[in-house]
Amino acid sequence: MSSSLRLGLLIASMIAFSFVLFFVMNKKLNIKYSIVWLLWAISTLVMAIFPETFYQFSHLVGIEIPVNAVFLIMIGLLYGLTFYVYIMISKHNQEIIRLTYEVARLKKELEETKKK
Amino acid sequence: MLKMKVLVIIPAYNEQDSIVSLIREVKEYGYDYLVINDCSTDRTDDLLNQNRITHLSLPINLGIAGVTQVGFMYACDHDYDCVICIDGDGQHLPRYMIDLLKEVENGNDYVVGSRFVNEKKPLNMRMLGSRLLCFLIRLKTGHKVSDPTSGMRALGKKVIQEFSRSMNFYAEPDALCHLIHKGYKVKEVQVEMKERETGVSYFHNPLKSVYFMLSVSLSIIFIQ
Repeated sequence: MSSSLRLGLLIASMIAFSFVLFFVMNKKLNIKYSIVWLLWAISTLVMAIFPETFYQFSHLVGIEIPVNAVFLIMIGLLYGLTFYVYIMISKHNQEIIRLTYEVARLKKELEETKKK
Repeated sequence: MLKMKVLVIIPAYNEQDSIVSLIREVKEYGYDYLVINDCSTDRTDDLLNQNRITHLSLPINLGIAGVTQVGFMYACDHDYDCVICIDGDGQHLPRYMIDLLKEVENGNDYVVGSRFVNEKKPLNMRMLGSRLLCFLIRLKTGHKVSDPTSGMRALGKKVIQEFSRSMNFYAEPDALCHLIHKGYKVKEVQVEMKERETGVSYFHNPLKSVYFMLSVSLSIIFIQ
């Protein structure tokens, strides 16, 4: 891995870290969900500081240029994260339907008791 | 046999022109009914209130699948034995409710009001889609159905419970396929439907119809 790529990863990791912290501090991101992004930033940092482990890994899976291994891992992680988000959306979708139903039902019952 | 507790569910989204006369007709049969107003932007809600029509007003727009599911949740909570779904735009004629109900009383779990049990299917784009879905369902389950997209249906208690809990029924065709596949007793009954009189159909937009066909087909082939 070239030193400029390592530098790039280092900077990206720093930016990601401060970005996540900024959003958590400003109460725009739930701490529960910030953890995975902090881990993300840390792993980028580890990659930048200790690229040797990385060389071994790319050699192991038969990728000639280590930077391609970086892409591979990143894409894999992103897939995982996106899929997780889709699962959460499905769950929330179902919860919204349930809540909408409860709200509508309570509204109906309230109006009925008012009439009596 | 004890008399069944029947609920007629009528999803309504911007149906100000048809809803009142439809409900008047439904009321004549004496079943409980529930209009579910899916956050309409026209006068539907006012009309429902003025005419003292039993209804749920949803605070947000859920779309047809969500609305029907809300209806099933209501039916579950109030312990109904049978639910009949009728569209709010007036294209399903309430007089056929009795035929559907009779088949549920005969022990069927899911009864679909089909336009083509005895009638021949016309040849047009919509029916081409319908044929394709019939073919897919036949391929998957081995059962012959004639009108998979029909939204007029009657459901027995087991099916109501299953549908109120599950997040995975997308539209009528894959719900139908799912039930046949799981071994529920499904039956089709000949009904007539009116052409839509007011409002705009969801399938007015060709892109949406293609998307609908695609998702329903994939769902039938891989999931249900």
